[in-house]
Amino acid sequence: MRKQTTYLICGLLLLLAACETIDCTLYNTVGLKARFYSQGAAVSITDTLTISACGTDSVLLNRAVSASDVTLPMSFWQAADTFLLRVEGDGYVLADTLCVQKTNTPHFESPDCPSTMFHQITAVSCSRTFIDSVVIVQPSVNFSQFENIQIHLRSGD
Amino acid sequence: MKIFRFIFAAAISTLLSLTCGAREYNGPLISDEAPLFGGVAVSADLVGFSMKAIGGKFANMEVSGRLNFMEKYFPLVELGIGECDKEGGDNSNKFHTRAPYFRIGADYNFNRKFNGNRFFGGLRYGFTSYEYDFDNPTFQDAVWKTQDPLHLHGLNGRNQWLELAIGVETKLWSIVRLGWSLRYRMKLRQKVSEMGEPWYVPGFGKNGTTTFGGTVNLTFDVGKSAKSNKKKK
Repeated sequence: MRKQTTYLICGLLLLLAACETIDCTLYNTVGLKARFYSQGAAVSITDTLTISACGTDSVLLNRAVSASDVTLPMSFWQAADTFLLRVEGDGYVLADTLCVQKTNTPHFESPDCPSTMFHQITAVSCSRTFIDSVVIVQPSVNFSQFENIQIHLRSGD
Repeated sequence: MKIFRFIFAAAISTLLSLTCGAREYNGPLISDEAPLFGGVAVSADLVGFSMKAIGGKFANMEVSGRLNFMEKYFPLVELGIGECDKEGGDNSNKFHTRAPYFRIGADYNFNRKFNGNRFFGGLRYGFTSYEYDFDNPTFQDAVWKTQDPLHLHGLNGRNQWLELAIGVETKLWSIVRLGWSLRYRMKLRQKVSEMGEPWYVPGFGKNGTTTFGGTVNLTFDVGKSAKSNKKKK
């Protein structure tokens, strides 16, 4: 009886020896990934590029040089986001707007991790100052680091 | 690594106890004495009810019924209610679920001696269909600065899993038995909302590909087995 009691107690103690880990994903940034193209080939913008979100005072990208791709945060609740892209070169300034229409879906990993919003791009449009066209490559905007849209620049810009 | 240590310690402590007991035994063997049908037993898992009583993050509160064939084979059914209220450590997130779950399976008693003690291994199939809630009252957009609470309620989930069990059980008095078991659970199928996976699955435990669990069972023999146990006493 004594031995039986001993191994019953051993079992109870082992059951109490539980441990807990927090498993949040490492890539927890959700953003629209856009890459620049000219004449079908990926390029970088040699001039200074600044991107801001219309309707806010936030500058998303400040005076970047040689930017080949950008990751832009998207609004949680709006049906469309408009971004202002401004290129400054020697003696000139060009500005374009990029409008992204989307649906929003809340997403969570665990109570211990920050919750966020995933998006599905439904349409894109732009004013055509230095941008020629915009193509949707991967409409799902989530934790994956895939390219979502291609921004084709006018040739010669 | 902690998990392997845990299993190793459990297995060693169990095997040592049984080995020590073997040298002292001169009684009848199960193969000579056990009837074809040994009766029915019902039991409750004390761990789940204790966790609920002390306000644990989650609890599997379950009861089970089993048949006894030749003191060797124990087909069984386990029914329970799994409940979880989990809050995020560094944020205001909250997860909640409460749903029934079911397991069906069998145990095999490795003890050859007919002394009322059992050392068993078993296999179970588990199933649950449940709803879960996730709340974030301070859900805020960092760039556009809009704050709108997130209340995702009634998200649907379904899980199926396999469960390996090892455990021991001893007769305390007359028809009353006490034992514990360790469970290793392997997810077979899971269907959950695309908005997010549940933190906890009723009957399975913390959501993942595999998980560990355990029970402490207070068991009562009823019917035929209760009568035979009283006679032995």
